[in-house]
Amino acid sequence: MATLAEYQKQQDVFSFWPRHNEAVRERLESKDAWLETVRGTQRTRDEDVLEHEMTLNIGPQHPATHGVLRCVVKLDGERIEKCVLDIGYLHRGIEKLAESKTYQEFMPYTDRMDYLAPYANNVAWCMAVEKLANIEVPERAQWIRMIMCELARISSHLLWLGVGLMDAGAVSVFLWTFQGREDLYTIFDEISGARFTVSHSRIGGLATDLTPQAVAMIENFVSRYEDIVQGWRKLLNRNRIWIERNRNVGTVTADEAIALGLTGPNLRGSGVPYDVRRFEPYLKYNDVDFVIPLRDEGDCLARYHVRMEEMLESLKIIRQCLYRLPEGPIRTDDAKKAYPSKDEVYYSMEGMIHDFMYTETGVTPPRGASAYHAIESPKGELGFYLESDGTGNPWRARINAPSFTNLQGLESMMEGHPVADIVVLIGSIDPVMGEADK
Amino acid sequence: MAETLKFHFTPVDAPRGDEANVHAQPSTEVTDTIAALRQHLPEAITDVVTYAGEQTVFVARAQLLEVCRLLKDSLGYTYLSDLAGVDRFTEETCRFEIFYNLVNITAGKRIRLKVRVGEDDAAVPSITGLFKAADWNERECFDMLGIRFEDHPDLRRMYMPEDFEYHPQRKEFPLLGIPGSLPLPPQTPEGELTMDPFAAAHGRRPVACTQEPVREEEP
Repeated sequence: MATLAEYQKQQDVFSFWPRHNEAVRERLESKDAWLETVRGTQRTRDEDVLEHEMTLNIGPQHPATHGVLRCVVKLDGERIEKCVLDIGYLHRGIEKLAESKTYQEFMPYTDRMDYLAPYANNVAWCMAVEKLANIEVPERAQWIRMIMCELARISSHLLWLGVGLMDAGAVSVFLWTFQGREDLYTIFDEISGARFTVSHSRIGGLATDLTPQAVAMIENFVSRYEDIVQGWRKLLNRNRIWIERNRNVGTVTADEAIALGLTGPNLRGSGVPYDVRRFEPYLKYNDVDFVIPLRDEGDCLARYHVRMEEMLESLKIIRQCLYRLPEGPIRTDDAKKAYPSKDEVYYSMEGMIHDFMYTETGVTPPRGASAYHAIESPKGELGFYLESDGTGNPWRARINAPSFTNLQGLESMMEGHPVADIVVLIGSIDPVMGEADK
Repeated sequence: MAETLKFHFTPVDAPRGDEANVHAQPSTEVTDTIAALRQHLPEAITDVVTYAGEQTVFVARAQLLEVCRLLKDSLGYTYLSDLAGVDRFTEETCRFEIFYNLVNITAGKRIRLKVRVGEDDAAVPSITGLFKAADWNERECFDMLGIRFEDHPDLRRMYMPEDFEYHPQRKEFPLLGIPGSLPLPPQTPEGELTMDPFAAAHGRRPVACTQEPVREEEP
């Protein structure tokens, strides 16, 4: 059989990156299905007399791939024998970009990583910088950050639910969950002035305090959404089509999930109790009462249950945060470590100088310092590893993106399933390409 | 209005780095693990650095696999959280550094290993045999920094296409990219390939998507 490059030359077909496609094809031929090898369930296939074998390229531009994920699969009839995921179609090199930005300047880039939960990314970045430069954050800011992180989690899970069900054929849920996201956008708009890319958190605190209006809106959301989420669970938990599409699809045991490096709800759906909110309690997660949902089955249905229960737990956390929200400053009062307040900037010369200094240089952690801080973002463990050279720009900013590690697991999970399960599997893993491709 | 304003400034920059970090987590305090590693593999650990309550263990490259195997099989660090490389461009020796972030889920501990390699022999043994999750991270590290992972089953590039010849996260790689390193689609239906997406930045006349591309004159 002629190689792809030879074939293209014969047919005079132009291809942009011929060596790349060739390498993907070669990998497809040479790899083995890892999960089947581990379990010893490889199928020995007879000679392909009926010519069932086919190589199919799904994506990168395909509505079911949730972005620009490209799956190259080798099929035996309808069954996926091997799968190679090709990512990088949204690669912007933000780790490289971070090296030429100050710590505060990099914040808007984090909005564009996991664009379904931008606030969680802002907080993750701020906390990593705060750890590196040893900056204390006022109590009130920590509680507000927690509220917003949990709202971001709900926002992300709402999209997962709507899109996941639309992939499985139920379009109406998509419209209902987007109503919920619209409510959340309105809240984010009230708090930060932006609906989507909020960039509201600041190093050392927050940009602005919650207005009474915003608190009322969050309270209203929390009081309404408990029933709404329970209503969706009533609709779906015993829905025959939904269960049949999800049960025993993409099953991974606890050991396999750890080996594949899955994080977040995908790991907890396999019964591994790893949640950064408990593992390394940041913000005030030690002071609130919540349960980390766990399921043992490890299939798509388990992951669905974990995420639905997580939404309810998030509502519970927000309710406690609102109840316990203390009064006080929202940003640390040290102009070398955080932006001075606008009052100081407008009415004092020192305030203005510090504002300029902070925009120009920002925080300067000591030379040779390095720190890793992770939060539990909606998708899993989102960590930033920062290394400083003593200037205002990070020497190295490493992003440990949960979608990246989850996609790696997805490659193995797909093997052995029918083509129709691809969309359900991608939906249940819930990747965001902005984050996976960096 | 003005008399109600209060200004708080802290003009003195207190010494930093040595005081206790407010964000330090007990999970990154791994003295017991380091003692166990020292006991079983005395030559493997070259240095231990602590910052922000995080202990970083520097490991000799030759013993990396043994250290990882010991951590995984005997000390319970079964989960690989992160793996990436750092370009220490300004240092005299050992230009590259690879760090491994391993987690012990049951004991609630997180350890960071670091391996340093020089530019001429930028290669480390792959740990994919022990941690399957290291596969894509090692590929990413190879793609971005050009560090080779020996015995990696599939050392392709992760993000960039195979046709790309550079390693973009090395410090000497320009932020705007290298013109002509990757062909991009033409900007008009009949146009030619765009070899420089940032023409204006490189001092040439950019072509708007509505215009015919400028033909380079033959010398």
